[in-house]
Amino acid sequence: MNPLKVDRIIKNYGDKRAVNGLSFEVAAGEIYGLLGANGAGKTTTMRMILGLILPDEGDIRYLGNSYSEQQLSMLGYLPEERGMYPKIKVSEQIMYLAQLRGMSRKDADKNLKLWLEKFQVPEYYNKKVEELSKGNQQKIQFIAAVIHKPKILILDEAFSGLDPVNVELLKTTVKELRDGGTSIVFSTHRMEHVEELCRNITILHKSNPVLQGPIKEIKKKFPQERVIVTADGKIEGLDKIPGVRQVTLHEHGGYELKVDSPAVGQSILKHVLDQGPVNRFEVLEPTLNEIFIKTVGESHE
Amino acid sequence: MNNSLWTVMSFTMRNKLRSKGFIIMTVVLALLLVVVGNLPYLIEKLSGGSGGATKVGYAEGQQTQVVEGLKSHYAKLPEPGVELVGIASEEQLKSALENGDIKGYLTFQEDAVAGFPKVTYNSKSAFEGGTSSSLTAALQQVKYDTVLDGAGLTDAQKAQLHAPVSFQTQKVSFTNEEGKTEEEQGVAIALTYVMIIMLFMAVMITGQLIATEITAEKSSRVMEIIVTSVSPLKQMWGKILGTFLVAMIQIVILVGALVANLSLPHNSDILKNFGFDLSSIDPLLLISAIFFYLAGFFLYATLFAAIGSIVSRTEDLGQAVMPITMLTLVGFYIAIFGLNQPDSTLMVVCQYIPFFSPFIMFLRIGVAEPAWWEIALSIGILIASILAIGWLSAKIYRVGVLMYGKRPSMKEIVKAMKAYKV
Repeated sequence: MNPLKVDRIIKNYGDKRAVNGLSFEVAAGEIYGLLGANGAGKTTTMRMILGLILPDEGDIRYLGNSYSEQQLSMLGYLPEERGMYPKIKVSEQIMYLAQLRGMSRKDADKNLKLWLEKFQVPEYYNKKVEELSKGNQQKIQFIAAVIHKPKILILDEAFSGLDPVNVELLKTTVKELRDGGTSIVFSTHRMEHVEELCRNITILHKSNPVLQGPIKEIKKKFPQERVIVTADGKIEGLDKIPGVRQVTLHEHGGYELKVDSPAVGQSILKHVLDQGPVNRFEVLEPTLNEIFIKTVGESHE
Repeated sequence: MNNSLWTVMSFTMRNKLRSKGFIIMTVVLALLLVVVGNLPYLIEKLSGGSGGATKVGYAEGQQTQVVEGLKSHYAKLPEPGVELVGIASEEQLKSALENGDIKGYLTFQEDAVAGFPKVTYNSKSAFEGGTSSSLTAALQQVKYDTVLDGAGLTDAQKAQLHAPVSFQTQKVSFTNEEGKTEEEQGVAIALTYVMIIMLFMAVMITGQLIATEITAEKSSRVMEIIVTSVSPLKQMWGKILGTFLVAMIQIVILVGALVANLSLPHNSDILKNFGFDLSSIDPLLLISAIFFYLAGFFLYATLFAAIGSIVSRTEDLGQAVMPITMLTLVGFYIAIFGLNQPDSTLMVVCQYIPFFSPFIMFLRIGVAEPAWWEIALSIGILIASILAIGWLSAKIYRVGVLMYGKRPSMKEIVKAMKAYKV
């Protein structure tokens, strides 16, 4: 049985429908990507999973159970808007939040020390949050979300505002949690993170789930229509080849072509080889970024 | 899961008790109350301690009959408040006052119609209440004597004339066997007055504190994590109870400081002279003080919590709590004005209005004699409205904590309540 099962949930705010018939399941040890433009219904969905608001229709199951206060202790949440008590010591507030999730003070203290050790910041134990940099506050916030070893973890924009080193650190940690069997709902605007971490995704557009499934399958649905080619010299006449829609010259050499079908790639290769040696030739599958923009962006006014 | 209620409570208390602002405020207030507690002694020391009579000058040779009369009047008193000092001439009076030899001086002006001179007391300050009233009484006596001298009355008759009318008011009580005497009444009024002020301040300060804390949690966005860890209702009550206990601790410290100092021997003796005995306070009054403090606190605290929950930024809080502040102020002022007319219709009506009744009912118990059913009805309404308002506030709180941006209107809150199904 999957730890988290969302079944055809619908939520209306007045006469506006915020989430329309969304269903998905998250297995143990899986990171599920919840994508969508701003205002698409991601936060509402997460709030429903967290039990802050009840869906109008449909239901959400946690290890097969419906929502109750007992489920709170197995949920972890990292909200998009970060916040902690600025004037209270790190140890004090993490322990408070852990206790609210049903941990004993002693266990919370032990776990906190382990986590601080892991993030290589044990000296923050007695510091006030306002004394920390933004990135470090975020680490503390992350600890607050996971300290009670939740079975279901909801990460809303987990890596925003972090420097690349810290992004790597948190990404590794998230992967470790996944490998430890946590079900993670992951929302972000950074598609490369989704591609790296998520097995299945849902793209929400104006409250509706428009694209759903494993990333691999989704990508197969979208034609490979990008070709990269690099040669020593200049390549002439690429835009004359039938089936090529657009040619972009990259800053550091190489051309990126938009084509009608993957087959056009072969005629491009032939055309380029006629002009000299080729350093690189690749027919690329579409990136999630492109898929996202295509799904969500094209219908934008 | 009552654990989490306790967790919120203890967290709230720990942080409040540790905060510098709280400690400093408590210490300062306690010191202030220590001074207030010693005030009776200090006043006694400063005024009575100067060792007797105020020196009042007069120009020798003027109105000798009146001056002699005054002198003999003061000579008869066991503790004369005024000592008459003769100064050679009228011109020297002013310089004597300037030098500080005398506190003031008398000048006379013939008044043929009254048959007694007009007397003016000249002093550095126009507010010489004690001295001038003593002089007025003395002069009245002298005038009586002057006039009566020619009427051929016996000394006994004179003494009868001089004796003041004996007049006392006594409040009729229907519950106790004895009515309260005027002195007891005075003590009750003073005590009620002090307690109403304390009630008002406690409600306002703790209420504001609760609202500020909740808004601060909301604006720092900790709220989002907290409401996903513990039910908003428990969080709200944890916060209210935690702040309440902190307020109790503070009140105990402050009242303790005041009472301890007032009951020190040197203070309590003086207070007893005024007919003010701490041990004579009606225990019923204390019990009702505690009850109405609790009732007032919870009534307003839940309201403050609800308001705090719908405001996103601390800056907007002052404006948002304005209506409640007004409500408490109205209740407070009705109570203060009602001290003199505890039985007026306004008071009788207001004792049933939940937002005012903590003040008004308490006041009426203190200085009037409301019937038991009046008290019961008032308390019943109060408790019912605490429950109703607590329930409503919890609902508002539930949706309020998740609403960010501009302060939502009543309509938006109702809409959100429907949407959130709370």
